[in-house]
Amino acid sequence: MLNDIFIKPFVDMFTAPDFLLQVLWEGLVSGILYALIALGFVLIYRSSRIFNFAQGIMVVFAALTLVGLHAMGVPAWICVILTLGVMFVLAVSIERVVLRPLVGQPDIILFMATIGITLFLIGLGEIIFGGENKVMITDELGIPTDSLVLEPWGGLLILEQKDITAVVVAALLVVALLAFLNKTRMGRAIRALGDDHQAALSVGISLQQIWVLVWFIAGIIALVTGIAWGARAGVSFALEVIAYKALPVLMLGGLESITGAIVGGLLIGMLEKLFEIYWGQPLLGGNTETWFAFVLALIVLLFRPQGLFGERIIERV
Amino acid sequence: MKQFKRLAAVAALGALMGTTAMAEGLSTPNLAYRTGPFAATGIPIMNGQADYMAMLNARDGGIGGIAIDFSECETGYNTEKGVECYEKTKGSAIVTQPWSTGITLQVLPKTNVDEIPILAPGYGFSPMADGAVFQWAFNTPLSYWDGASIILKYLSEMGDLNGKKVAFLHLDHPFGKEPLPYLEMKAEAMGFELLPIPVGLKEMQNQSAQWLQIRRERPDYVVLWGWGAMNAGAITEAAKTKYPMENILGVWWAGHDADLKLVGEDGKGYKSVSWSFPNPDAPVMADVKKYVIDAGKSQTNPEEMEGVFYSRGLVISAILAEGIVVAQEHAGKPDISASDLRWGLENLNLTEERLEELGLTGMVPPFSTSCSNHTGHSGGWILEWDGAKFVKASDLIMPDSEAISELEMAKAKEYAEANAPWPVNEDCQM
Repeated sequence: MLNDIFIKPFVDMFTAPDFLLQVLWEGLVSGILYALIALGFVLIYRSSRIFNFAQGIMVVFAALTLVGLHAMGVPAWICVILTLGVMFVLAVSIERVVLRPLVGQPDIILFMATIGITLFLIGLGEIIFGGENKVMITDELGIPTDSLVLEPWGGLLILEQKDITAVVVAALLVVALLAFLNKTRMGRAIRALGDDHQAALSVGISLQQIWVLVWFIAGIIALVTGIAWGARAGVSFALEVIAYKALPVLMLGGLESITGAIVGGLLIGMLEKLFEIYWGQPLLGGNTETWFAFVLALIVLLFRPQGLFGERIIERV
Repeated sequence: MKQFKRLAAVAALGALMGTTAMAEGLSTPNLAYRTGPFAATGIPIMNGQADYMAMLNARDGGIGGIAIDFSECETGYNTEKGVECYEKTKGSAIVTQPWSTGITLQVLPKTNVDEIPILAPGYGFSPMADGAVFQWAFNTPLSYWDGASIILKYLSEMGDLNGKKVAFLHLDHPFGKEPLPYLEMKAEAMGFELLPIPVGLKEMQNQSAQWLQIRRERPDYVVLWGWGAMNAGAITEAAKTKYPMENILGVWWAGHDADLKLVGEDGKGYKSVSWSFPNPDAPVMADVKKYVIDAGKSQTNPEEMEGVFYSRGLVISAILAEGIVVAQEHAGKPDISASDLRWGLENLNLTEERLEELGLTGMVPPFSTSCSNHTGHSGGWILEWDGAKFVKASDLIMPDSEAISELEMAKAKEYAEANAPWPVNEDCQM
């Protein structure tokens, strides 16, 4: 037993390095997509202290809008622009109809409101687009769908070009987001609002404008995530379930930290895959990915309750 | 003709009974799932079920002169919601259609108390076939163990399974685990290595870990016990890892056209067992089109009508409708009770001739039920994806009834003892 836990997995990694690389690659692809979803949560939480339960359904809604518009004969790249427009209208509507009347209410009320948004978007999505599985317009968007077959150390490593594209686009999106938050006036306003609400309002930062902006950015992230996941296994309401994978990422990385979301996503993506392949499947019958990330996050929380990158909260009593 | 006369008599009787029953109709609620992660699988089946009943109402004024009140309660394939739906709809219902193995297992003891038949065609708990123990439950025309048996028979025809490795890729859910006792028994008897690979609900669309395991273990065959988004996830991963499609064989819920259309040509050679098959030339299809689709009473789109799942929905409602017909004839009245329907469902005799009369030629194999056999064990076909649609790849294959019935009876007894006092049908001697 001790051999199976402490020695055999490492021997397997060493004897089949191409397989290890494949495992790490699959973990990286999953991880970057978890990080993207987590980023959507973090951005909204930082600026408004709202835990956005609707982030998962926003992924579905954005992807459905994209493929739905294309099914109506709209060219692919126009669909992307129109979908961004829909996500902007959604952000404005959420701010006007849901959030603005609830300013000053306890956090739990705002959280419940996002559950309401989720249910509304599920219903709206089903009425407009139906619940059937739809094919992502991968070719039409110019996303390559072939595989790169490599033979490192005489072994086999298969890299899907659409996964490579997802990783590159996600990385560019993160870089652009960081640049926006750190180098632009609006970005600094979002950060200021996250650091101190009252102080930010006192220097004239508009809460309404910032909320619209962060919900719109969360919408852009949702669209990119929807395209990447949809290209893997189609667009359906099942995509919403994937958003729950971001919860341990947030626990691990910290609800307020963009770096935490990225590092947490990558860590969870790769570690859960390594654990599943080398320990979970041989020793525990598999399917450890459903709980591994939560256990990992709980262990981190035992030592750092604010998460790896969260801010330590010190309250005077 | 004799049957027609009997039906006409029942219809006349129905007309005499007045308008109250006509207005209310026979309540046959469906615990449907048109939303949630499994919606893509549910929608065409639910549409087929609803359209068949709507066709009977429009064409014949219902069954035996009484309208069918076919309502839906949305569960989202969630077991808790399913139980709520059962409680909400059971009042006047003559049947319940739970639409999930999880929900079926939950309502199974309740239906004994409420005395409402469960109709779970092609799903649910396989030992429900033992009608003496499960008086109120019906899983016609094939159980999951039948399905597993047909798959093993087909694989054996391709070569002896002794010494082979068979991966069992399944949803980590009561539905996915259901055939395990049978597969484990057969693995020992036939000498193959069974490799169960569970897929969690959150991993349905990202099965890279499961397919990495398949790549490492190199099984000779993959038996896919998938549902909803899991099927598309598995088939795309199989295409990605270059696993030979012709060595993957799925259960009937993993044979959905829409799932395969996601991979198109890459899915060529993929197979699925099925107890139903679309026949666009069947008279029932023309009637559904005339009375329901063209009349604007349906949510179905033309592409969906050509698929395996839509036609399965039609067949499921046809089985229920036939149960109602048999019950009405036996009871001598159209407004039958749940108990009457139970009698009807355990005296089904869907012969080739009767299927032809119903306009269902080629859409379901013939089968019959009895008080001791609530499944019928009709046998199934192997369907193969040709890159654009499913085509038949085998003649009708019958399950290994001897091995299955032994296991069914043992597990049914085990269930009854674990849930004692469990009422059994002591009058059933067959």
